[in-house]
Amino acid sequence: MCEERTTEFTVVGRSERKVDGIALVTGKPKFVADIDLSNMLYVKILHSPYAHARITEINTSRAEALPGVMCVLSSKNTPSTRYTTAGQGYPEPSPYDTRMFDTKVRFVGDRVAAVAAETEEIALQALKEIEVHYEELPPVLSVDAATALEAPIIHDEKDATGIFDPVRNISAKIDINVGDVKQGFAESDSTVETTCETQYAQHTPIEPHVVLSYLDEDGRLVLRTSTQVPFHTRRIVSYVLGIPLHRIRVIKPRIGGAFGTKQEILLEDLAGLVTLRTGRPALIEFTRQEEFVSARTRHPMRIRVKLGAKKNGILHAIEMEALSNTGAYGAHSLTVLSNVGSKTLPIYNKARNVRFSGKAVYTNLPVAGAYRGYGAPQGYYPLEVAMDKLAGKLGLDPIELRRRNHIRCGESSPIFEEIGEGREGVAQTINSCELERCLEIGARRIGWAKKRGLRTRNGPWIHGLGMSIHMQGSGIAQVDMGAATIKMNEDGSFNLLVGATDLGTGSDTILGQIAAEVLGVPLSKVIVYSSDTDFTPFDVGAYASSTTYVSGTAVKRAAEEVRGQIVGVAAAMLESDMTNLTIKDEQVISIDGRSVTLTEVCQRAMYQVDQFQIGATESCVQDQSPPPFMSSFAEVAVDTETGFVKIVDYVAVVDCGTVINPKMAQGQIEGALANGIGYALTEVMLFSSTGRVQNATLFDYKILGALDIPPIDITLLDSYEPTGPMGAKSVAEIGINAPIPTIANAIYDAVGVRLTKTPFTPERVLSAIRSHSV
Amino acid sequence: MALSNLKEYVRPDELDVALSLVKERGTSARVIGGGIDLVRSSSPDIETLVDLSHLSLSYVRQTDKGVAIGATTTLTEILEAPALENYLQGVVVEMLHQVGAPPLRNLASMGGTLASAHPWSDVITLFLALGAQVTLYNGVTRMVPLSDLYASRALLSPAIITEALLPAYAKGTAAAFMKFSRTKFDIAILNCACLISTQNGDCKGVRLTAGGTPQLATLLPAAAEVLLGRRLNQTSIGQAAGIARETTFVRDDLRASGNYRRELVYAGVKRCLTCVSRQLSGVSQ
Amino acid sequence: MKIELIVNGKQQELDSAPGETLLHLLRRIGYKGVKKGCESGDCGACAVLLDDRVVNSCLVLAAKADGHRVTTVEGLAGQDKTGELHPVQEAFLEHGAVQCGYCSPGMIIAAVDLLAHNPNPGDQEIKEGISGNLCRCTGYVKQIEAIRIAAEKMRKGTDV
Repeated sequence: MCEERTTEFTVVGRSERKVDGIALVTGKPKFVADIDLSNMLYVKILHSPYAHARITEINTSRAEALPGVMCVLSSKNTPSTRYTTAGQGYPEPSPYDTRMFDTKVRFVGDRVAAVAAETEEIALQALKEIEVHYEELPPVLSVDAATALEAPIIHDEKDATGIFDPVRNISAKIDINVGDVKQGFAESDSTVETTCETQYAQHTPIEPHVVLSYLDEDGRLVLRTSTQVPFHTRRIVSYVLGIPLHRIRVIKPRIGGAFGTKQEILLEDLAGLVTLRTGRPALIEFTRQEEFVSARTRHPMRIRVKLGAKKNGILHAIEMEALSNTGAYGAHSLTVLSNVGSKTLPIYNKARNVRFSGKAVYTNLPVAGAYRGYGAPQGYYPLEVAMDKLAGKLGLDPIELRRRNHIRCGESSPIFEEIGEGREGVAQTINSCELERCLEIGARRIGWAKKRGLRTRNGPWIHGLGMSIHMQGSGIAQVDMGAATIKMNEDGSFNLLVGATDLGTGSDTILGQIAAEVLGVPLSKVIVYSSDTDFTPFDVGAYASSTTYVSGTAVKRAAEEVRGQIVGVAAAMLESDMTNLTIKDEQVISIDGRSVTLTEVCQRAMYQVDQFQIGATESCVQDQSPPPFMSSFAEVAVDTETGFVKIVDYVAVVDCGTVINPKMAQGQIEGALANGIGYALTEVMLFSSTGRVQNATLFDYKILGALDIPPIDITLLDSYEPTGPMGAKSVAEIGINAPIPTIANAIYDAVGVRLTKTPFTPERVLSAIRSHSV
Repeated sequence: MALSNLKEYVRPDELDVALSLVKERGTSARVIGGGIDLVRSSSPDIETLVDLSHLSLSYVRQTDKGVAIGATTTLTEILEAPALENYLQGVVVEMLHQVGAPPLRNLASMGGTLASAHPWSDVITLFLALGAQVTLYNGVTRMVPLSDLYASRALLSPAIITEALLPAYAKGTAAAFMKFSRTKFDIAILNCACLISTQNGDCKGVRLTAGGTPQLATLLPAAAEVLLGRRLNQTSIGQAAGIARETTFVRDDLRASGNYRRELVYAGVKRCLTCVSRQLSGVSQ
Repeated sequence: MKIELIVNGKQQELDSAPGETLLHLLRRIGYKGVKKGCESGDCGACAVLLDDRVVNSCLVLAAKADGHRVTTVEGLAGQDKTGELHPVQEAFLEHGAVQCGYCSPGMIIAAVDLLAHNPNPGDQEIKEGISGNLCRCTGYVKQIEAIRIAAEKMRKGTDV
């Protein structure tokens, strides 16, 4: 049923160097804040010190009077339009519950006012001169507090739209039923249940949010911004500021990482308004503190999973119930919640009775948003721990239990069409799935059969092995659209213009590789330019692992169209039939051996005969979202005296379809695993009793450093997705789904405790070990 | 601007000049080695910085009293110093590899590290166990035990640390250091160190310290006492570690709870003593 | 105040406020390869060589660097002005060690310091050498590999 690749590629499949690589290693000024514009203003934001308060009075006159202050903004002089900051397709499936500057603040770190001044120092000084009177309101600092009877209402504004139930602080709700779970559990021979909790975590891109806005010579507003979503930014800024969309240009240069936190219109509205009001360029650079508190975070969640299985280990009923903390505003609240189920449950498609339900709840805490995995990491934790428990109960090897239950090529799951992203999903059949091989290879490479259950001791260290399996998606079916323009130059080179957004992921390079492959030229002959709303065609942007699968297909289509045009011109030149011609090594060759170079073809088309610009623009919206799959294995050692968990070995086997650029694909998995391991072991945002983030520095919030990295063994399977460009799916997010459940299961193998709260800090692990042995 | 009110940055080439500047300007003047803490502090109170790097205080010297380290010597220079390679089997080097990271070690000075007295300081926890002595200059030079510096901050107001001395120890002495942290590039949740001098296999001198509790390192006399006159073995080590666990002051902070720190004190002291025991019996690590 | 810096071999006399950090000054005079990530010495994105040793330029006052040599990533390629990349830069490019590139200048600088003082480091030493440089994209795997390969090429005396 699974197709196999039949073509050999020349450019695709090679670890080509990044097209922007030399600029990056030599420190060229390619990032937002790397250009100096004369007359630039520095913008600083006054953040709320309270988690929940009304602003009863705000007096900015002293700030305005400071020499060097050009502009002070607050609710008094900015648009009151409600919108969503979520960078999603229109109409955005997130509530319009945000104002540029509101008269109410909803978390410590919320916007109160902003100052634009000649220097950063003056701007900061001016912030101190702004007089604000707050009427404090009781803060709601947990989901339980938010859903309690008579809880304070966080979004009591009259003009918000799209909130599921503002009175109960419910931003979004979901309830999906397939079959009858109650009946299903009754019919099951074995049931297990687990409830797991995940924490507030932050993306910590090494480059914080930054935007530079200015007016070009024609008075148009240009936003040079560190974003994943240039086109959504243009649209939403137009909407919020009330200026025509065509008077705005958004450019994304190189950006220093994003991982979801920049799938947001966070600062561009503000910078844009300052520039419009003053006529001057405006720079907003978040400090690291602001990046932690006032950017976006992971949705903390509490998720209960119940599994019912028959004696033979086949799942018969699955129930998943999720409670998501979306923080003070609802951007991405519904869609992340939806993905908790939509990116996890289909992997066990044998269960005929499935219920997925959940709520995303407002709290007076930092705003959760998009973060790599987008609900799937949270969902896989209880699901894969429950599977581990079930395996134990049934006396089955955990791998065997997965093998009996996972989805396969040619199969489907009702979940695909039940859950979309803010709308109905899309039914699909799996065309490529190498999970069986993922399991077999991974088990072998980690030494599963030899080492699991042994509990090898090494002083105070006890070893254990754990595993889990995962899927993700490749773009949002029938929603995400990307387009590409290719035009030819008379030296046989091509400009590739894509809206697709390279976050450092290397999408410029792999899209270039796809074009080069089809056009029969080396990558160096494809000049990629991306993410400029004036020049590049539309693309939703970099999220939902869409770039390779969706944007890549658009590139392939455009390249095929251009290829046809080239062959057409060559046919005229060679007085031959198009069907007799092929492109190879930058030439068009006839079966009779005659040839013309691409240069000659373009020179003719540009200057000589029947002149036209060889070029094409093509789009792609996909009918499905073929999941990449992976198996994840880890050997851990647990220090029974201190609770420290060391990862001795980590093995991941990934099916992402055709691998366009092996080193880059490996890099995606390696980075995602490292991030996921931090999420599992060391990262947590901590809050005071008044809702203030206590550890908003890289000193106090610990991500993995080079000395913390375990040995990571990645195998990219050779697989083929017929609906993907060159057979490719996606690889960007899936890796981050794995570490929490894999490590949790490995800790269980080692010391017999099931940890149901992340991060697995040494303190938590030791406490669990001690109470278990009591 | 890191230090927005900083008006003067001076690099005197005489110690007396440095001292008089500090005396004159009072708390608006600070001496610096690397200056890391002061730059990070962004304090608006600082108007004068007195950089000590031209006072020829960067050295690590083997002397007959022990290893003398100049105050402006960077942690990297100390880590790489030949004189410390074999000092107590390289325990200072081993500790320094766990402090911060190369960019910080290349800037941080020993004097600054001792003066800033960060409670999680690995250097202080070990140096205290090693019985380090510091030389202070306030017009007059004198040498005091490092612990005195923290017992009375008055010793430093104003005075300039010019040198630290790690005492020479006879054969039959060994030391160890242990650090627990969330990631490797992180300050300690807890650190501890020990120095054991033996005679005929019995403990003659015992210094145990624990730091990052979250307070600054202190000696653990009750635990140390239990070892005096005894051999180091599983029993005596376990007892000492147990007493350390009961008697060390610990507290909650955002890194860990006090109760958990107690467990780390136990594990850390036990492991340090076990390590020392192995060294003394000639077993390779 | 006036300070003198030798930046990437070029002697410069510069105006600086006493409280200005080296990071701020370097970016101000055009060395945009020096990145701002945290301004507290926790991420290493701002790392430069101060007299051949890697330091976080956000923690060094420009005044402290007065009279000293500073090397930024812009000063690595083509010591002889041919524009050829430093073996570490070359290896980073070749082995997929650069994703977003924001941590790369600081990481490369740290690696240059490491290899200048330890030409044959083991993996543990390489990891320690870049332990002060945080990266969120790569998981460090390919960076460690690239540095190992660069070290080998440099020992052999061959360019990549």
